[in-house]
Amino acid sequence: MPANLKPAAPGQPKTVNTPDTLNGDKVFRLLVDSIQDYAIFLLDTNGCVASWNPGAERMKLYRREEIMGKHFSIFYTEPDLAIRKPWHELEVAAETGRYEDEGWRLRKDGTRFWANVIITALRDENRNLLGFGKITRDITERREAELRYRLLIEGVSDYAIYSLDPTGVITSWNAGAERIKGYSTDEILGRHFSTFYTPEDAAAGLPQRVLKQAADTGHYEGEGWRVRKDGTRFWSSVVVTAIRNETGDLVGYSKITRDVSDRKKLLDTIRQHAEELELRIAEREQTNAELEAFSYSVSHDLRSPLRAIEGFTDIICTDFGNQLPQEVKTYLGQISTATRRMNRLVQDLLEYSRLSRIELKPTAADVATIIEEARLQVDESFRERVKVNVPAGVKAFVHPPTLTQIIYNLMTNGLKFYPAGKQPRVEVSAEQHEGKVRITVRDEGIGIPPEHHERIFQVFERLHSASKFPGTGIGLAIVKRGINRMNGTVRLQSEPGKGSTFTLEVPAA
Amino acid sequence: MTAAVRMKVERLITLVVEDDDSDFQLFEAAFRRTPGDVQLHRVDDGESAVAYLAGDGTFSDRSRYPLPHIILLDIKLPRRSGLEVLQWVRQQPGLCRVPVIMLTSSRHTKDVNRAYEKGVSAYFSKPETMKELTDLLGALKDVWTRWFEFPSLDDKAN
Repeated sequence: MPANLKPAAPGQPKTVNTPDTLNGDKVFRLLVDSIQDYAIFLLDTNGCVASWNPGAERMKLYRREEIMGKHFSIFYTEPDLAIRKPWHELEVAAETGRYEDEGWRLRKDGTRFWANVIITALRDENRNLLGFGKITRDITERREAELRYRLLIEGVSDYAIYSLDPTGVITSWNAGAERIKGYSTDEILGRHFSTFYTPEDAAAGLPQRVLKQAADTGHYEGEGWRVRKDGTRFWSSVVVTAIRNETGDLVGYSKITRDVSDRKKLLDTIRQHAEELELRIAEREQTNAELEAFSYSVSHDLRSPLRAIEGFTDIICTDFGNQLPQEVKTYLGQISTATRRMNRLVQDLLEYSRLSRIELKPTAADVATIIEEARLQVDESFRERVKVNVPAGVKAFVHPPTLTQIIYNLMTNGLKFYPAGKQPRVEVSAEQHEGKVRITVRDEGIGIPPEHHERIFQVFERLHSASKFPGTGIGLAIVKRGINRMNGTVRLQSEPGKGSTFTLEVPAA
Repeated sequence: MTAAVRMKVERLITLVVEDDDSDFQLFEAAFRRTPGDVQLHRVDDGESAVAYLAGDGTFSDRSRYPLPHIILLDIKLPRRSGLEVLQWVRQQPGLCRVPVIMLTSSRHTKDVNRAYEKGVSAYFSKPETMKELTDLLGALKDVWTRWFEFPSLDDKAN
């Protein structure tokens, strides 16, 4: 305790019994004198200063000797004096025992500070008024901080930020809340926040559930439809936080609401697009499946009349050939050729649709064996033109009949497209490479211009007339579909005049 | 009759169950082109096949509709499928021994498997060309007339 600070003058009321050993009055005075953050002083029954502590001196800048005996109204501002506030405060304190207030007070130098003031009436055993105890705190900084904070919140216009009491009644309102919900502060204070909910949600007890969850867990977050003052709805994102005081009692809730209708609209649009897309894919898959089934039954039913045409043409030629003019025999020969081509076409189509329908159950298969099987299917007159260079022991995880067919198709494809006079030659090799088996089928034929590399894998796509290079236009489509169904890929490298290389990649076993 | 004596079939009676007229005519032509004699009887749906074999109604006249040594059976048939006819045949006393040959356009593994499960004697898919059909039916006729052992369809026979 600074030495220059003397204890307050004697004559103060003794309202508390303190142990004799502590010398009650003295200890109390020591305590009061040591307090610097609170102005604690006594007023007599008239309101004149009867004691002064260092906290009072520090806060109000009056020294003890200059203030003792002065009326406490000296601390009040003009407007407060005009309404006789100091005298009113004493009246209330005398009547009720206590008066609490916050407001501007003056220092000796005329500057103002925001004070929290508690005035307590002091009475003796016979309830005679002895004077008043006054405790003043300078809470200017806290007030400014609160003010800044409030201004900050009030100024936020993108978010509705408001507070609720424990029952859900609105106790504060900011500019954002007014902008988003359409209610002014005056209209909405005192109303229950369930006003903002849709009748359905309100009837279902959603507002109560929101508060309960916030109270139980400290927090609620959600999105949903809310209703503006004008009845329109918006999609909101809401955060509710329970506010508790120092002792843990629930004193209310803070609520932050954002209008996320735009985001919701965007998400809904995206979702709608996704659903439409899925629907279209499903439709397309069904259409595909129907097409497959259709092509299968068409191909199948076409075979019977084809057999008849081919068969009867054959019978006419064979059994009655010597009775026919040469011209008729030539035409019959053309019927036979056309029938054979159509037969080939129907069979390829059947094979193609079969590849889509049936399950291709993969097994570990020896690649060299499969390639040799494919080679043995090549017409004998061309078989020697196929060179195979495959190391033993390469195993792939494939459906062997399908891979055989694919490689056979690539072999015959490679043997077919050669300029007149050039000997065809096809080279097949295979190697294992990072979990894959790579099979290449290389020819030295006429090659394929890059712009056609995609097209040639589609059904019925042909780059050349059937009279120049015969074929159904399905062979490479079968290659592509078959390899895809076995989780493999097919790539083409080719340039006109430089031959073509088809590279298959399938899972290794 | 002792087992050592081979049942001699002078004239092979074949029941063809085929709904497609063209196919039947092609069968006839193919059989004609190859040596050996074969007598063809035809019904064109599954129900008639059963009636023929059971000797129902007009089919009771066995001089006109004799029991066949061999049945050539299609799978896709009106009224009763080839598989149903086959199943019925295999349940009849005596008749169950008759060789039944499937000759059909179906190459479904499922059809093939069902047919053998139900006791088909052999299963062929219809060849695409007349030449192949002649080869197949000629070979069958050759086997039947020269090498085949035929069962007795009399259910009292051992």
